[in-house]
Amino acid sequence: MRALAFAVLAIALAAVGAVVAFRGGPSGATASSHREAPLIAQDPTADNTDAYVFRSPDKPDTVTLIDNVIPGEDPAAGPNWYTFSPSARYDIYVDRNGDGKPDISWYFRFKAGTPTAFLGGTQQSYTVTKVVDGKSTVVGSGLLTPPDNIGPRSTPDYHSLAQKGVQPLSDGSTVFAGQRDDPFFGDIGAAFDLVAIRQGTGATGGGKDFFAGYAVHEIALQVPVAMLDNASHVVGMWTATDRPRLQVNHGKAKTSWVQVSRLGNPLINELLIPTQLKDKWNATTPANDKQFEKYYLAPSLAALLNKLYPQFGPFKETDRTDLVAILGTGLQTPKLNYTGPTFADELRLNLSIAPTAPVGQGNRLGVLGNDLAGWPNGRRLEDDVIDIAERAVGGALIDHALPLGDGVDANDVSYQPSFPYEADPFSGFDNTKGQLYPTHP
Amino acid sequence: MSRLLIAGTAVALAAAVLSLGGVLRSAGATQADAPHAAAEALTSGFGAGDTTGLVTQLQHALRRAPGNVHDLDLLGLAYQQRARETGDPTWYPKSNGILNRALRLAPRDLPATSGLGSLALSRHRFALALRIGRRAVALSPSTAASYGIVGDALVELGRYRAAFRVFDTMARVKPGLAAYARISYARELRGDWAGAVRAMRLAGTAAIGQPEPSAWVQVQLGKLDWNRGSYAAAAARYRSALRAFPGYVYALDALAQVAAATGHIERAIALERRAEETIPLPQFVGLLGDLEHAAGHRRDALRTYALIGVIDRLLRANGVRTDLEVALFDADHGVTPARTLALARHAQRARPSIDGDDVLAWTLERNGRCVEALGYSRLALRLGTRDALKFFHRGMIERCLGNTAVARGWFHRAVELNPHFSVRWSPVAWKYAS
Repeated sequence: MRALAFAVLAIALAAVGAVVAFRGGPSGATASSHREAPLIAQDPTADNTDAYVFRSPDKPDTVTLIDNVIPGEDPAAGPNWYTFSPSARYDIYVDRNGDGKPDISWYFRFKAGTPTAFLGGTQQSYTVTKVVDGKSTVVGSGLLTPPDNIGPRSTPDYHSLAQKGVQPLSDGSTVFAGQRDDPFFGDIGAAFDLVAIRQGTGATGGGKDFFAGYAVHEIALQVPVAMLDNASHVVGMWTATDRPRLQVNHGKAKTSWVQVSRLGNPLINELLIPTQLKDKWNATTPANDKQFEKYYLAPSLAALLNKLYPQFGPFKETDRTDLVAILGTGLQTPKLNYTGPTFADELRLNLSIAPTAPVGQGNRLGVLGNDLAGWPNGRRLEDDVIDIAERAVGGALIDHALPLGDGVDANDVSYQPSFPYEADPFSGFDNTKGQLYPTHP
Repeated sequence: MSRLLIAGTAVALAAAVLSLGGVLRSAGATQADAPHAAAEALTSGFGAGDTTGLVTQLQHALRRAPGNVHDLDLLGLAYQQRARETGDPTWYPKSNGILNRALRLAPRDLPATSGLGSLALSRHRFALALRIGRRAVALSPSTAASYGIVGDALVELGRYRAAFRVFDTMARVKPGLAAYARISYARELRGDWAGAVRAMRLAGTAAIGQPEPSAWVQVQLGKLDWNRGSYAAAAARYRSALRAFPGYVYALDALAQVAAATGHIERAIALERRAEETIPLPQFVGLLGDLEHAAGHRRDALRTYALIGVIDRLLRANGVRTDLEVALFDADHGVTPARTLALARHAQRARPSIDGDDVLAWTLERNGRCVEALGYSRLALRLGTRDALKFFHRGMIERCLGNTAVARGWFHRAVELNPHFSVRWSPVAWKYAS
């Protein structure tokens, strides 16, 4: 019976969500924002995995904004290829005045790919709409993603194929959207097994990168610094995904969008937000984040560190205004990227700080490693956010500096020196997930 | 019509009890079977083996820390997933025990609460599911999944207006596969076929990259085609489901129906047997028996039907209410009409949905109580649902009341909508329609 089928699906989905939150197999190894409410784990094409914003090292007069979605893409997933969802709206937001509301928004809408013989229908056309102060302009249409990296026969010379995905927009910025190697790295299996670090305190390597070999879908923009800049030179950025609302009794109403996922700082929803508020957190705009501040003030990770490393403790478990500053308002002391008293979860980038190294070569500990061009000043691909988060929760900003980490310090493959920076994905044909069967007569 | 007696053969039942163990075990074996498992692992990333491993891992962790509510939640859900993968309902009481343990430790725990809600739905305890679902909504009004439990329970309790409001809320809180699929079902119930298809297609765009949910959506779209007699379109959907998720039992079962409808009865039997051998769900076994019966394999059919009784006892023993399904099966197969009527009345009281009303109407007709049957048939069609089987039941009731012309109209509607809606009954509908 149909009702039974629904119950069956519900359980399947709930359990799959739960399982994703636990195991490290193909669907479990996912980017930093994947241990989420079951519902978001069930909708990978609307799952924001990581957001990045940094001044482009190779073009320092521009800022790169990246929205990664779809966790844990197995390159050999055919025939179930990954694409952007044609019914979703993908959003990149910039807040220029610290009020937690978007001042510039970019909306990305993708069409379903046309299934062609060998590309699995993974090449999609898309439109970019930019909204500034309520005024909406289409800045790109008929743009094309590259197909997914299927293999040398279906998608030969993938690198040049993919680079054709870098296209200009009418407002002078540049765009790319398509499959990429997941730039995130970390021993998520250990991190979510009560921070079961494999070696020492995780500062001497030895971790297992659960994201190696997996892909994501990247939406990247490169815009002139001048487009975002303001008197304070600090801007906030976050990403989100919306799906259209639907009603049983449908009329000819206009599409009304509901935000189902969002991401500013990494690891927030999975580490700080309690289960019963995860859907709500995902649906909220940073301007309304005050209601969640108490969870930033008392992170459970601090309690965990006290159990894990009693010899280094005590770690402060409550009243963590230092974390609220890093994640919710920007840092005032040291003066780095403060945007005012409004608590809002955004990546905050001080545009007056020049890039310090080519892409991938900045200090992985960012600001904690005295490299002011890294997280929590914006976020670069190479920023080791799990280690930084552990150290920050450990009290790095309140005179409690400890060499904590997960034992994985960098991505498994190098990033590209130029836009869109994230590396080509492994192909389905020669991905690293399988192993060759020995030849025999 | 042939009245096939299946009850009362204690020996057959006892034999089947023994073989059922085999069925369930071999279901596990089929999934562990190398090529199958490999195909599944490649495409799904979520095979049966993973849940087994997860269960072991969680049991281990809980031995070390028995009070870990998060792990209890996961284990309770993993047990339900095992039930789903094997069709073995003995996992339900285990899930129930574990989730209740979690709730004793943390009375306001949301995953344990909603886990018990989905368990109550699986066990067809809809009033209980409604209560638990409402508690989950109270614990967290911003969590979309809880509305699904409430809405599903309301549908089965026949409270459609409230159910549809809840589905609307769910799609406002968090639109996605789960909400879109429910909206599609609601529209289908209201006879809005095009709207149902649109919503289910939208659900498909929210299932990209997930093999089993993608396959599930394809099967639902196929069933919408099937309901309208578009067999080729339906079969294409089912085959696409099998490509997305090899061996998907719901697609095999649905393909068997198309095969039978298009005159390939032996092929239908082979397909249904594959579904039934993987997961012996009663509806698969029932259809297999009907197919065998229709193909003239009377002895096979008897053996297959006997298995249903066994599965039913196993389901009941593990807390699953099956009154409505058993009443329909017994009414269809002419089993002790008087007792079946009592069962159907009881089932309809517990589950006054259009399905409950329809089964009671049909059982009353089988008992010759056609005036009363007419009232329930009207209730069963109150939403405007376009369902050939319900039309056929109405035709039989009108015919029994002597309204030959009216009856012929209903038979016409049934076969016009879906010419081969039932292996057992569409030939009867055709006969009376002409």
